[in-house]
Amino acid sequence: MDQPVRIRLEPLGEVIEVASGTPLKDVLFLRGVEFPCGGHGRCKRCRIKVLAGNLPIAAAEESLLSPGELAEGWRLACHARPETAVTLEVAQWETAILADDSTFDFTPGEGLGIAVDLGTTTLVAQLLDLSTGRTLAVSSTLNPQATCGADIMSRVQYAVLENGQHRLEAFIRGAIGRLIRNLLQGWTGPEAPPVRRITIVGNTVMHHLFCGIDVTPLSRVPFEPVRDGLEVFRATDLGWEIAGDAPVNFLPCLGGFVGSDILAGFLATRMQESDALVGLIDLGTNGEIAFGTRDRIICASTAAGPAFEGGLISMGMRASTGAITEVTASDGGLQCRVIGNASPRGICGSGLVDAVAVGLEHGYVQPNGRLPGPSHRFPLCPPVELTQGDIRQLQLAKGAVAAGIRIILARLGASPSDVQRVYLAGAFGNYINRTSARRIGLIDFPNDVVEPAGNTALLGAKLALFTPDIDFASIRARVQHIVLSADPNFEEIYVGEMGFPTA
Amino acid sequence: MPDLQKLYDAILNGDNKAAASITKEALAQAVEPMDLVNKYMIPAMDEVGRRFESEDCFVPELLLSARAMKGSLELIRPLLAARGTEPAGRVAIGTVQGDLHDIGKNLVASMLEGGGFEVVDLGADVSPEKFIAAIQSRRIDVVALSALLTVTMPTMKTTIEALTLAGVRQKVKVIVGGAPVTKEYAKQIGADGFAENAISAVSLVRKMLAEQPVA
Repeated sequence: MDQPVRIRLEPLGEVIEVASGTPLKDVLFLRGVEFPCGGHGRCKRCRIKVLAGNLPIAAAEESLLSPGELAEGWRLACHARPETAVTLEVAQWETAILADDSTFDFTPGEGLGIAVDLGTTTLVAQLLDLSTGRTLAVSSTLNPQATCGADIMSRVQYAVLENGQHRLEAFIRGAIGRLIRNLLQGWTGPEAPPVRRITIVGNTVMHHLFCGIDVTPLSRVPFEPVRDGLEVFRATDLGWEIAGDAPVNFLPCLGGFVGSDILAGFLATRMQESDALVGLIDLGTNGEIAFGTRDRIICASTAAGPAFEGGLISMGMRASTGAITEVTASDGGLQCRVIGNASPRGICGSGLVDAVAVGLEHGYVQPNGRLPGPSHRFPLCPPVELTQGDIRQLQLAKGAVAAGIRIILARLGASPSDVQRVYLAGAFGNYINRTSARRIGLIDFPNDVVEPAGNTALLGAKLALFTPDIDFASIRARVQHIVLSADPNFEEIYVGEMGFPTA
Repeated sequence: MPDLQKLYDAILNGDNKAAASITKEALAQAVEPMDLVNKYMIPAMDEVGRRFESEDCFVPELLLSARAMKGSLELIRPLLAARGTEPAGRVAIGTVQGDLHDIGKNLVASMLEGGGFEVVDLGADVSPEKFIAAIQSRRIDVVALSALLTVTMPTMKTTIEALTLAGVRQKVKVIVGGAPVTKEYAKQIGADGFAENAISAVSLVRKMLAEQPVA
């Protein structure tokens, strides 16, 4: 029984030995593989392929994978417990995490500061010299809570229905504590300047789970938090050993599921001081939209889902080696740009948006989303192709975002042409082609209005390190959170936005 | 005599104005209302459903067709009611308590109407008491529960339990659906059926009512 089992993981080429019957989920999670449905065997995103050896088929796999897929060796990592040596190909790849290297204005202070972007999927932290504003170190990792579900609602479910609130809290406090320990390597000892403060930003669910606030109110109507303000801890409260016991500030949320990551985005873009109408759109695991001026900002979260990160797309993947990131048409054929000078293995969000834009232009995709021709497929670069179902997923996702923008602007009494600038936050905003985004009707603003803004959550968290006296109450008083699906015209607008513009 | 094939086309293509005008014309010329429904409208919706299943059309087209169907049905229903004609079955549908999502539920409701059933749409965030009241007052054959969130899914179970406690569970068939719901879950909470999408909900209800006419 105690005979170790050798597992070879491709394409990393890594060989590991584990005890016979060890759940593969535990092994792979440590190596960055995500389990979007929490390892419940619902989403098929943790697919692995048996290249050599044998992995018995579990009953759940028989209902989720087709006989053809099973015969080809596809299995679900969340159900597998290898008992003999196997070589596996992991369908997911390592994640590229976006930090922030922008320059910014600040008032010099003293000592060190740490800014943390607590994302649903990834964690990024930076160590700053508060006297020079220089970034001294960066550290990032996956959010370990992801083993309990990829999106915020499955985390809430795990906390409420599976009694997991304390476990999720311990996960995240531990992971950020380790990130901070990494950052401070080389910055400890009597010579090192003291850490003055630590600022953390994240969405409302991350806020609650980190701060130890019961998420039950977020699990039921009206899905409104009861306590979502600034939370202040000492490092020792969190079990972190930091010389000087620096204060840790989790910045306040804005309402509903829209948290301090968007508030930090306001600080980074100075949206809350703007005379002109501007917008901030963050399309990550959870999509958030905010539009407004210094007088009034309206924000909302959207059910855009993971399509823009390659989720729910048959050959979708994150923006990493082997992913198609750009598609253009030339000489009657399609040109695909692939990350890492590798042969194409899949397509990421920006590639998907490009592909559909090109497809609409050349008639491979019809305005109602239909793929003409008997096969209902849109081949890009072999072996990568889009299925009819992929186009439908994109229609749902882009319809939700476009509907959110329309509803917020309508509430502000504004039209898209009144908007002077739209900041696209996050990795997707950095890679997306603005012309393509407009062509598919995702973001209907001229290219010169749309500005990729990088990781505005992290930048805002850094800015907050230099200005400990930010008047959050004054910002929060001007921000109104709305529930998009409660708008009487939501269904009409959402369904209307599911189609693609005709030209 | 209007060309009734055009009614079929109007519903298939989601043209609600054409559907209503042909229906009006046909009724004015004393065409048998049940023929309009059974020979043209329901087959058109069945074709829309078939196209949806084969991914030839999507939610927007489905909704347009359903609206065209609904517009025609509203013209026909008063005539049927005046004659005392009973619908193929009555379905009470709602998104369970605590869940506000209703697009999916509305699609199912539209498709069921398109399939010839009378639908009592109780809306979103529906308490078990409202379902029970509907069963007691409206001669409901099937109760359809929708939930879109994993956190509200367990409310489907408590709703079914409430029907049992109120003594109305045996009077109806209960079907469940929604993105996180699975066939296994449906069985586990004691539902009579599960539908993957709006199209299969129609065939599920048809099959249930054909197999075992509810008293």
